[in-house]
This record gives sequence, C-alpha cells and structure tokens, in this order.
Amino acid sequence: MSVKELIRFNNFSFRYNSRDDKILEDINLSIKSNEITVLAGPTGCGKSTLLRAIVGLIPNMYEGEYTGDVIVDGIKIRDAEIKEIAKRVGFVFQNPENQIFMFSVERDIAFGLENLGLEQEIIKKRISKIMKTLNITHLAKKAPHELSDGQKQRTALAGVLAMEPKILILDEPTSLLDPKTAMEFMELINKLCKEEGMSIIIVEHRLDLVLKYADKLIVLSEGKVISDDTPENVFDYKKDIIPELSVPFSTKLYRELAKNQMKFTKPVTGVEDMIREVMK
Amino acid sequence: MQFIANGFIYRKSNSIIHKLDPRVKLLISIQLFTLALLVSDLYNLLIIFTAITIFSLLGKITQRLLRTMIFATGFSVLILIINYFAGYSLLYSLQIALRFISIVCSTSLFFLVTSPDELEYVLRWFRLPRDLVFAFVTSVRFVPVILMDTLQIMDAQKSRGLELEKGNPITRIKKFVPILVPLIINEVIRSGELAEAMESRGYGISKNPTSLYSLKLVNFDMIVISITMVSFVSVILFGY
Repeated sequence: MSVKELIRFNNFSFRYNSRDDKILEDINLSIKSNEITVLAGPTGCGKSTLLRAIVGLIPNMYEGEYTGDVIVDGIKIRDAEIKEIAKRVGFVFQNPENQIFMFSVERDIAFGLENLGLEQEIIKKRISKIMKTLNITHLAKKAPHELSDGQKQRTALAGVLAMEPKILILDEPTSLLDPKTAMEFMELINKLCKEEGMSIIIVEHRLDLVLKYADKLIVLSEGKVISDDTPENVFDYKKDIIPELSVPFSTKLYRELAKNQMKFTKPVTGVEDMIREVMK
Repeated sequence: MQFIANGFIYRKSNSIIHKLDPRVKLLISIQLFTLALLVSDLYNLLIIFTAITIFSLLGKITQRLLRTMIFATGFSVLILIINYFAGYSLLYSLQIALRFISIVCSTSLFFLVTSPDELEYVLRWFRLPRDLVFAFVTSVRFVPVILMDTLQIMDAQKSRGLELEKGNPITRIKKFVPILVPLIINEVIRSGELAEAMESRGYGISKNPTSLYSLKLVNFDMIVISITMVSFVSVILFGY
C-alpha cells in the first residue's frame, strides 16, 4: 500500500473570537496515510482546536482569526465545502453518547450515509460491512440506552467509518472504557489502520495504552508543536523527558535501567517492549 | 410518575399490531380519536372501548394501557363531578367522562405500539421539514440521557447535604435550583458537542437526504385499513 501525505499544516495559527491570544501558533505538520499519530499535551494546549481545524469545524463552525493553511487530502480546508471534508475525515468524539442520534444502531450508522444522499442499497451494504468489521452485527436493532460504553464507542466509530473516510480522528477514545475494553478497542484501531490504509490521529492522555501502536507522537504545549517524532525517539534515554508528557511506567523503568548501563536494542514505550527486551 | 409515563412509552414486541406499518397505526388511532369526539351515547362509546380493548390485546399492551386508563380516570372523575354540578344529568356527565378516557386511550395506543424510529418515518412521510423532524428525534432520543444526568446531579448534591424531601412545597422547589443549574450547563455543553458531531457527519449537506428504509404497505396493512375504514364509516353513518 503506497504511503502519501494526507494532512499538511502550513504556518497555521488560529485565535478564537472570544479570546485575546492565539490558541494555536505557527503549526507546521505533515501526517501520512497508513500511520497512527498520537497527539498529546496538557489540557488547554490546543489539541481540540487542531482537530477541529482538520475536520473543518474551524472555520465553518467556529469563527476567529485564521492564518496559514490546512490541506487535507489535497483540498484547502479554508475554501472547502463541509460535504467534501465529511467524505474525507471522520471524527469520533470523546463521549460516544453525544454522537449517537438515532434510536437503533443500524439507523445511527446510516445517519451520515443518508446525509451524503447515497442510495438505499449502498447504505445497506456499507452498514452490513462495517458492522461485521466491528463485530456489532448483533446490536443492529438495539437502542442506544441498551448499549454498554464499549458498544456505544464501537457504534460511534461505525457511524464514522461507514462514510469511508481516509482520515480518522479519535478524541480520547478510551476515556470511558475499562482497561480491557480499551485494549480491545485499540487493537481494532490498529487493524483498521493497517488493513484499510487510513491515517489515524488519536488524542490520548493514557500514553501507555496507545504508544504501542503509534508511528508518531506529536506533543503540543501552549499552542505550539514542541515535538514531532517517533515515540522511540521522544522517549530515548539520552534525551530529556518533555515535562508536559505523562511518561508510561515501562518507559520510566527503561530510562532508569538504560542510564545504569543496561543494554536495550531500542527505547521502550510499552510493557510488551519491556518484556521483550528483558527476555533478550 | 414513572407509573403514568409507562402508559405512553413504547416497548419492543412481536405482536401483529407492532408489525403494522406506522401509518396504519396512526390511522387507527385517528379513527378512534375522531369517533370519541363525535359519538356521545353509551352504546357507541362501548364500541370504541371494545375496539381499543381488541387492539391492546392483539398488541399485548393491555397492562400498560390500563395505566393510561387509571391516569385518565382521575381526570374523568373530576369532569364527571364538574358536569354534574353544572346542571347536566348524571348519564350525560358519565358519557363526557368516558369520552375523555377513550380520547386519552386512543392517543396512548399509538405511542405504545410505535417506535420512535417509525414515528420519524411517519413525520418524514408527511414531508415535514427535516430540521423539525430531527429536532423531534433528538429530543426524544436524549430523554433517557438527560434523566440519567438529572439523577447523577441529584445524587451528587444529596451527598453534599442537600435534602430534597424536607421542607414546605416552596422550599422544596427552591432546593431544585442547585440541580437545575448544573443540569442546564451540562445540556448546553452537550448540545454544542451534538452540533459538532452532526456537522462532521455531514448533516444538511444534501438537499435530498436518502433513508435506510422506506415505508411500504403490505397486504396485511391493506386488510387492516379496509376493516378499520369500513367499521369507522359504519359507526359514523349508522352509529348515532
């Protein structure tokens, strides 16, 4: 599967009309297909604004001072119609409850497809396909209040994936899930990225859960990109830790051991990595 | 309160009434409603109650319809008393009271056997503006969510010492302010998130949005329409 650049930020800055200062300043980023990118940073650093800029909610829904460019799959977001963006970018919000509109799972998955004006047969085919992929076929007729948090999260994801976006954005997707369900969800996301060739951007505070799958870690602080590298490079023991990041326990252990002369083949970013290294 | 609410809330079932096209269910409900408004003698009211009973038995909703009846009976007793003391005969007052019960039951019948999804399809079939239909759908969809939010806030405030059950009625109403304020803030934030989610899933981008299902009348629906229409017209023409 060929890799191509799907998102580009060129000197992008944004200030909400309701604020005096810029929430994002001089952002330059490049995100490719077949990649999982983790976006991290403290609360209020501009992560949500960055996501809104990709999905076109800025400037379509939020007004403010917009400079620079955001280019998604070859189209300039500033000049694009929301229809064009919706076909390309899927956004799964933090709370799945707030994005399930309809009274049954299959009707909710159909919501975006109906908005695109697709024919009934195509809608049915896409629903069937995505429900099989996410293993929620048995939930088709269930109402939202009959679903568990994990099932709601999958339904919200299905509703977005049915629109076949090239880019998938997940805003703290595991925050309402228990650790086991969160792990299963991340496995599913990884599978989607590798099999469908999507570009996936995940905002997540629980780095120990997502770094295992991440190809890239972007760290934001006070509206600026302070790091844009692979997780292994970000956490290499020879480098200083970025204070804004909550370092996974296994990485802390790796850094301490490496500083005390223990040999590692590569920096550790997860428990599995640590086990592998120790066994060697 | 929940006892009464259950007399109007839809529950899934495999009954033949549930399987009817929602437009047929609406037609039956309208027919019963109209008859209840038009007829006045006890004999015709008995026909309406028989029809309501048959539909509730076929729809397996008798128990919940009984709740509606109990709720309506409270008001109908009041209607009976007022009419009687206003100078009407006891028989006439009783007829008016029974009429009221049959009006409430015919409305409840529709909501008890029609899912919100089907209701949405009916509204769309009537070609109501999509924004209006969607506003209705989301408001119904989020009733249980807002209810859960309210209970959570009530628990949180009670754990901080708010005693909702104590004091006179005015004091009790005042005590709901610490519940209403966070609830309203919550729901305003939720509506913002909803708007974002709708926008990102392309709401409003097509002038002619399609639909996963479309309403189709089958043979059984046509038979039911025929039977109910004949009965309806018969009662209108010969019943009173």
